[in-house]
Amino acid sequence: MSAFRLNLRDGVGTNLTDKTIRFSFDGKSFYGQQGDSLASALLANGVSIVGRSFKYHRPRGVFTAGSEEPNALVTLHNGGRREPNIRATEVELYEGLIARSQNRWPSVNFDLMAVNQLAGKAFSAGFYYKTFMGPARKGHRATQFWWFCEQFIRRAAGLGKGTTIPDPDHYARMNAFCDILIVGTGAAGLSAAQRAAKSGARIIVCEESARAGGALNGSPDFIDGEPARDWCADAVAELAEMENVTLLTRTTVQSYFDDNTFLAVERVTDHLAHKDKSIPRQRAWNIRAKSAVIATGALERPIVFAGNDRPGVMLADAARSYAVEYGTAPGRAVAVFTNNDTGWLAARDMAKAGVIVTAIVDVRTDVEDSIRALGDECRASVHTGWAISSAKGLRGVRAIVIAKYNELTGELGDESKTIACDCVAVSGGWSPAFHLTSQQGGKPVWDAELQAFLPGEPLQSWHGAGAMAGRFGLVQAFQSGEEAALKALADIGQAPSKRSAKVGPGPSIEGDEIDYAPAPVFEINSGGKSFVDLQHDVTAEDVRLAHREGFVSVEHLKRYTTLGMATDQGKTSNITGLAIMAAASNKAIADTGTTRFRPPYTPVAMGVIAGEKYGHLAAERLTAMHDIHLEMGANMYANGPWLRPESYNLPGETVEQAYIRETKTVRAGVGIVDVSTLGKIDVQGPDAAEFLNRVYSNGFAKLPVGKARYGLMLREDGFLFDDGTTWRLEEHRYLMTTTTAGAGRVMEHLEYYRDFVWPDMKVALASVSDEWAGIAVAGPKSRHLLKACVKDCDVSDKGLPFMGVVDGVVDGIAVKIARLSFSGELAYEVYCGAHYGAALWQALMKAGRKYDVVPYGLEALSTLRIEKGHVAGPELNGRTTPHDLGLSGMVSSKKEFVGSVLLRRETFSKGDRLQLVAVKSLDGQRIRGGSHLVAGSKEEPGRSQGHTTSTCFSPSPELGCYISLALLEGGFKRHGEKLYAANPVRDAHVAVEVLSHYMVDPDGGRMRG
Amino acid sequence: MADLAEKLSPLHELAMPRSGSDKIVLSERLCDSLVQVQAWPDTVEEVEKRIRATRGKLTIMASGPGRWLVEDDKEGLENKLRRKIGVKLGAITGLTHGRVVVSVSGEKATWLLASGIAIDFDLLAFPVGTTQASHHHEIGLTIHRTGQASFDLYVFTSLVRSFWHWLEKASGEVGYSVI
Repeated sequence: MSAFRLNLRDGVGTNLTDKTIRFSFDGKSFYGQQGDSLASALLANGVSIVGRSFKYHRPRGVFTAGSEEPNALVTLHNGGRREPNIRATEVELYEGLIARSQNRWPSVNFDLMAVNQLAGKAFSAGFYYKTFMGPARKGHRATQFWWFCEQFIRRAAGLGKGTTIPDPDHYARMNAFCDILIVGTGAAGLSAAQRAAKSGARIIVCEESARAGGALNGSPDFIDGEPARDWCADAVAELAEMENVTLLTRTTVQSYFDDNTFLAVERVTDHLAHKDKSIPRQRAWNIRAKSAVIATGALERPIVFAGNDRPGVMLADAARSYAVEYGTAPGRAVAVFTNNDTGWLAARDMAKAGVIVTAIVDVRTDVEDSIRALGDECRASVHTGWAISSAKGLRGVRAIVIAKYNELTGELGDESKTIACDCVAVSGGWSPAFHLTSQQGGKPVWDAELQAFLPGEPLQSWHGAGAMAGRFGLVQAFQSGEEAALKALADIGQAPSKRSAKVGPGPSIEGDEIDYAPAPVFEINSGGKSFVDLQHDVTAEDVRLAHREGFVSVEHLKRYTTLGMATDQGKTSNITGLAIMAAASNKAIADTGTTRFRPPYTPVAMGVIAGEKYGHLAAERLTAMHDIHLEMGANMYANGPWLRPESYNLPGETVEQAYIRETKTVRAGVGIVDVSTLGKIDVQGPDAAEFLNRVYSNGFAKLPVGKARYGLMLREDGFLFDDGTTWRLEEHRYLMTTTTAGAGRVMEHLEYYRDFVWPDMKVALASVSDEWAGIAVAGPKSRHLLKACVKDCDVSDKGLPFMGVVDGVVDGIAVKIARLSFSGELAYEVYCGAHYGAALWQALMKAGRKYDVVPYGLEALSTLRIEKGHVAGPELNGRTTPHDLGLSGMVSSKKEFVGSVLLRRETFSKGDRLQLVAVKSLDGQRIRGGSHLVAGSKEEPGRSQGHTTSTCFSPSPELGCYISLALLEGGFKRHGEKLYAANPVRDAHVAVEVLSHYMVDPDGGRMRG
Repeated sequence: MADLAEKLSPLHELAMPRSGSDKIVLSERLCDSLVQVQAWPDTVEEVEKRIRATRGKLTIMASGPGRWLVEDDKEGLENKLRRKIGVKLGAITGLTHGRVVVSVSGEKATWLLASGIAIDFDLLAFPVGTTQASHHHEIGLTIHRTGQASFDLYVFTSLVRSFWHWLEKASGEVGYSVI
């Protein structure tokens, strides 16, 4: 290990264990210790440049120690696990970790793209708007110049690159409900958790880091006589033991939605070297909390000065954290630059850990003696009333130049000094981390004393505690935590008694008492390149330029300069940018306003948003005969959520050959097909007949028991909605069938009318789609097949006439048989309880063996109905009426029904509407679905007069060619016309003849036979 | 009826007994009788009274306003209830084949279910003996709490295999067994 690792002892390296960990960065092996973050391990190894900036490719080093990090973005892992833009400050080190720097070529130490710095002035705010304005390229929305430059710009500017290889990990979800959610486990969060947990309420506590305790883990203070970290460990252990408390570490609460719903992301295995495949990588927690305590602390912000982006410049509290918690010196010689007391504490703590603090520079002249004394403790040179005018060095800080500073005017004096150092620890004050409450729309309020925005009035049931609510320091944290807990308990109806409602004195605290209010100094304007937003390379001058160009709204400023965008969402830059904008416009910060935070709080992997659906997009619906279909060699086809046999291919057969064979067999003999997927709705009640009569366009009131009827259902606007048969099983009991795709929407349609339009009707509706397995038996030998296996009923023409329904038994299985035909052949639908579906299929196949029965799939089913001219989904497309499809006879003129009024619109009777016809190929070419019917040649096709809907090859002797159903303008009167089915996308232009859609058995003799 | 053919579970061999962790124990069963009863708005009390007066080892689950899912460990409940509750009182729909019951028990049962179903499984919100209707993504579920850490889930027959796959995958983190 390099000289940057401090001598680990009690109070130094509190996060570390002795175990050595090997990892690689940019292909080079390094060693760290268990408990290190990637950032701390890199610092310990003397790696100061960890990335290149977004626009100028300037070298950048670690800037923070938490999730607000703008600079140290790395790409982790290889292959499918490759993940860009991960904050090195959040990555827990483990054996074998692979990390790479980003946005550089060829290396992070020598990046040729740093040439961009030479054109720095050209890349100022609004660069794209200014450079690429002009006439748009024809047919596009951007200029020709943009199209030329884009490829180079995209290569030069950007963050890391993702992967196109599928992610091998899986992700999980958890739905959690609690009385009180506590976000953050610093002193305020722990205090709130302790108080709330005692009440017995259900508590969930979320901590972003691996170890609960927040700032207590590195605090030099004593609580109840114990070192803060020991007290914290005991308190956390006690909470973790409580049955009513769920304590989640490595869990970032990312989003705060309506109804007090939170999204938190738990990093389950990200920190493990060996990832068990059965364990999810990350888990998304949907937390519904009756109330919440937000104790997310505050984020330190920098002071902007020239050269403030050099590697080695970091936030003071981060530098302190690296020294105390990670046992790592942030530099060999550290200069502290501050406008508040906390910078001095950081200097003191670093020095105590063994870091050499060379100087403390404070813009204030009025510094308390007790604070000044800390400078002596550090043995640092103290410069109050001074400021850093610039940081020197190319690839890292080598020195700082400080100058006398007038706090009132913000001007630097002539007197200056140069101080050698390789790290500048900066503290510009603290900004409460109210991102979550801001997401909810709570308007922040400027606190002039703290020089910070506070979260403002809650719009939902949440209560702020600790630094997040502007209550800085341990004493305030404990008090405000308890207060927030009491308010949260009141929210859930556990208002404490007057006695117990009092906030206790809290634990005894031995520690520093300081003033957290900073001097209102955000920038030292000395003319050099001073960065406000490190991640997006936005300088203070960019902000002023935006103001000069008329951008007065802070929202516009953000979008024009990109300040506060990208992965860190401006956590360390927003307030500073705002202050510079306020100064430029001569306004108070409070009057300048602030932008609102959006979820998520930190970047979230797409996988965890997709959750368990990743790799498992939707549930599959399977019929009772699914396994048999597979055994019989069926090609399964996704038909909506259902998996259905497309065809049963014999060895060597194509799908087309298979469906032609299956179709021929049905026309000549007998075949069976699984129709279990049809929607099935049980309709019962004293008013069931009248109900059906109102929802169908044709009459249902007089349908006899034991008979089925084909029905059309319309929408209110008169267009066709769905079709199917409904069987009257008993006087007040019906079985309605719907199309497979329409089952759900028909059920909703019926429930809407039953519940809202005709609430007085006594009608019960129940989906029985899964209750019944259904098999259609079709073909001239279908009756023979049934006769061979059906018992307890007569299936002769007389016993079971067309559209008749009977009960019977097949192989001991109770069945309902309806004589219906979708194919146009003599056909039956046989239904049984779904758990007997496989047995019924086998029984029918066995009975049909002597009639050479074949199973047939969706393709043959479709071919049979196209030949017959029966409509289905492609024709019931939401834009057709019964008249368009030649079904005017199904529209009753003796009653009103849903859609009847608007069906009488004049426009629906016009003869030039798209009407159902068939077309057949005249030149042997295949007709493509969705082809346009045109009169002209391929070169000059003319306008579309209609389109094909359902296509197939018809093996019937009457046809023997490719055919299609089609919707054609005035089609009923155009039979015999020659047109073309044009499909330019597939380079097809097929000569066709228009026919009646009743192509096979137009008089229905076969199915009635 | 059905003395020759046997009912076949859609889970088939997927739910064969398998040893493993007892933190989550999965099993499946097909109902002998499962019936939905729907009362009319003015007959709710009478229908409930008649259901409760019906002989048999009934599990009665309220599944909506004036609606119950009733299970019996013997066949024939549909006809029995149809006789007791005529069309003037309500409607009886057989669902014996429309659902498969998946039982989940063990100390991690609620953890498992909460990972996919957005309802509160706390005993105060979901007491033993009560029923809740919910979804796991597209899959509608009727969930009956049979004990502190045991549940019967009535799953649509056509979707039960997908649901079982999810159960197994989600259980993998803590281990499971099938009985």
